[in-house]
Formats: sequence, structure tokens, C-alpha cells
Amino acid sequence: MAISGIHLTCIGRGNFLLEPLGSLNIQDAGQLMQDIITLLQQSSGVRLYYDLNGLPVIDPVYYEWLNKLARICLTANIKMICINMQPTAAFTLSSFLTCEPLFTTALGVPD
Amino acid sequence: MVQKKEAGEKMTALFNLKIGNISGQLEETGREFFCADNKLMDEDEVADLSGEFVNLIAGLLGSKDPHKRTSPQFHALEMFFSGLSQRMLMRGGNVEDVVRYAQQLQYSLISALELDSGIIFTQSRSVLLYFAQVFDELIMAIFRTYLSEREKTLKAQEAELRETSTPITEIWDGVLTLPIIGTLDSSRTMLVMEALLNRIAKDRARAVVMDLTGVKNIDSQVSHHLIQMVRAVQLMGSDAIITGIHPEIARALVSLNIDLTGVTTRASMSDGLKEAFSRMGIQVSHKAN
Repeated sequence: MAISGIHLTCIGRGNFLLEPLGSLNIQDAGQLMQDIITLLQQSSGVRLYYDLNGLPVIDPVYYEWLNKLARICLTANIKMICINMQPTAAFTLSSFLTCEPLFTTALGVPD
Repeated sequence: MVQKKEAGEKMTALFNLKIGNISGQLEETGREFFCADNKLMDEDEVADLSGEFVNLIAGLLGSKDPHKRTSPQFHALEMFFSGLSQRMLMRGGNVEDVVRYAQQLQYSLISALELDSGIIFTQSRSVLLYFAQVFDELIMAIFRTYLSEREKTLKAQEAELRETSTPITEIWDGVLTLPIIGTLDSSRTMLVMEALLNRIAKDRARAVVMDLTGVKNIDSQVSHHLIQMVRAVQLMGSDAIITGIHPEIARALVSLNIDLTGVTTRASMSDGLKEAFSRMGIQVSHKAN
């Protein structure tokens, strides 16, 4: 099932890699989350790696989207890990974070 | 206005003299200032300098309006003194030498013109006033160059100091250390954070040990920046470990109500490194005999 605005690839052992595309519309977060979780559950996903490589800045709106996605993943017992966060994005995000995000972070997909 | 017109006529008269002949007389002034003890120039260079100056002053005196400060001829003279000032500063000379040279050049120029023309210019108020005004502007150009060069030097030194005061070192594959020494202020914390985050991305560092042993005091804003730095490091997917927090700093953090939940701290840099190694599954031990 293709989901508009993202590339979702199975990278083995229940791990999935989500790469957001330029056409990603987070205004339609509800439908998007539902499509993602459906696909992950159908494929017995356990971990979702969200690739932030092309994202120079994370503003409160985008952070809310990430947190919502992490929350829905948790309800389906899927762990969401944000990877490849850019220094500028980490800087902006850290400047307005008041509590721990619902997702974890890693440098990349572990070998 | 009448005085200006009179001076203008005198300037044209001066230009009509074979001004090129006075170059040799001006060389003496250059040699006195730049070839004496300080050896800032050799004799050939002084000769070129004097020749160039004579050409430029002749250009100004022969221009349509020698009083005009915006004329290309005047600008060329300003650039000549700016360049000279810059060159002398780069060679270790000081601005005073260049200013005194410019002043002496003014007197030498008038004497040389007098000698060449047989007219006593020192008795002509308008000519003296004209040269005084021209040379005042040129001395201003020297000072402007001096100040701008000094500012550039200070900025370069400041940048160098910033870089050396926060050395980020990859002490092991994927482990960075950042000893922070001296006073932490907001701008420095921001610079350190920027350098550190870029380094994490470049080296794909999995752990960062920030050592505060050299930090003696901290204020509310800086402590927030410090926590922000730790958070940003964690967001990039690395572990942040703070070591060497002085009792005064610990007390300040408590009284400032800074939340250190989720921040790993260790007493010393060596403990911090052990923690980083242990998280990465690295064991460092003595070699068995």
C-alpha cells in the first residue's frame, strides 16, 4: 500500500524505515497515521525508524506531528526512533522542548 | 570663495612646475622613517613610494578642482596612504610612524616645491592651508585603515581563542570529549553547542563527555543553555555525560531549580569516560602479565 508523502520501507526483523517526502502533508495527520499504523500492523512491525535527514528545522507543528505518530505507534506496541536529526534541527527542537518526547532518537539505523 | 579661487590658481601654477624633479628630495623623508632602525622598507621600495606619491599629488594638483575631496585623484591619494598604512602594520610597524611620515612628507613637499620653483610658499597662507587640509584628510585615511586592520586582527584572535578554549576531541571511536574552561556566557555556550552538534553529525559520535572542571561559575541563563545543549545532544541520538561539576556549580544548579533528570553526571572526566565506554560495550583494562 502506497502512502502519499512518505516512503515506508521494510528493512528486516520487523524494522521499518519512514522517509518523509517533500509532498508530506502533516495537516492531514489523522489519516496519515492511520495508514502508517495499518501497514505496520499488517507487516508485524516492531520498530519504526523515522528519517529526519532532509529536515533542517523542526518547529512546534512538526514536533507535534512526530509526537502524535510516536503515541499511535506506542498504542500498537511499536517503538518509534527518530534518526539522522540534523544539528540545526536538534538545536531548534531543544530550544522549545519542555518535556521528554514520546519517541527516542538514534544516530542512524543500527548495523 | 576668493581665497579658494586664489589657491586654485596657485595649485595650477604648482602643477605646471616640473614636479617630477622633487621625487628625489622626498625619498630622504621615506628613508628616514622606513629605512632607519626599523628596516620596514629597502631603498628601492622607498624610491618607488616617493615616485608614486609625486605622481599622485601631481595628478591632484592638475585636476579640475584640487579642493574636491571626492575626486578620483584625491581618492587615489587616500588609497595610497591606506595601502601604505596596511603594509607597514603587516610588517610590524606602527601607525605613529606612518602618521609622522605623512606629516613630514607635507613639510618636505612644500620645501621641495619652494626649492624647485624659487617661490616662497611658506609665506602663502592659502597654499599652506590647502596642503594642511589635504594631509589632514590623508592622515584620517591612515587612521581609518589602522582601526579597520586592528579590528580584523582582534576578530581573528577572538575566533582563534574561541576555538582553542573549547577543543572537541574524539578520544575514542565515537566518543567525544569537550573540556570547558573559563567563564561560560550565553554567546559562548551557543558557539560551543553549534560546534559540538556539527561534530556529532560529522563523526557520528555516540557519546559526548562534557567536562566542567574548569568552570567556576554559572548563571541561570547559562545553566539553561547547558541543559539545552545536553538535550540537543540526546536528540541527535548521542549520550551526553556531564563531569566535574564543582560544588559551587551544583549548588547554583539546585538553587536555580534546574532539572537534571535524564542528564547523566559523573564526578570526574575519567568516570565519565568509563561510563561512555561501558555504554558502548568497550572495556579498557590493564594488560595481563
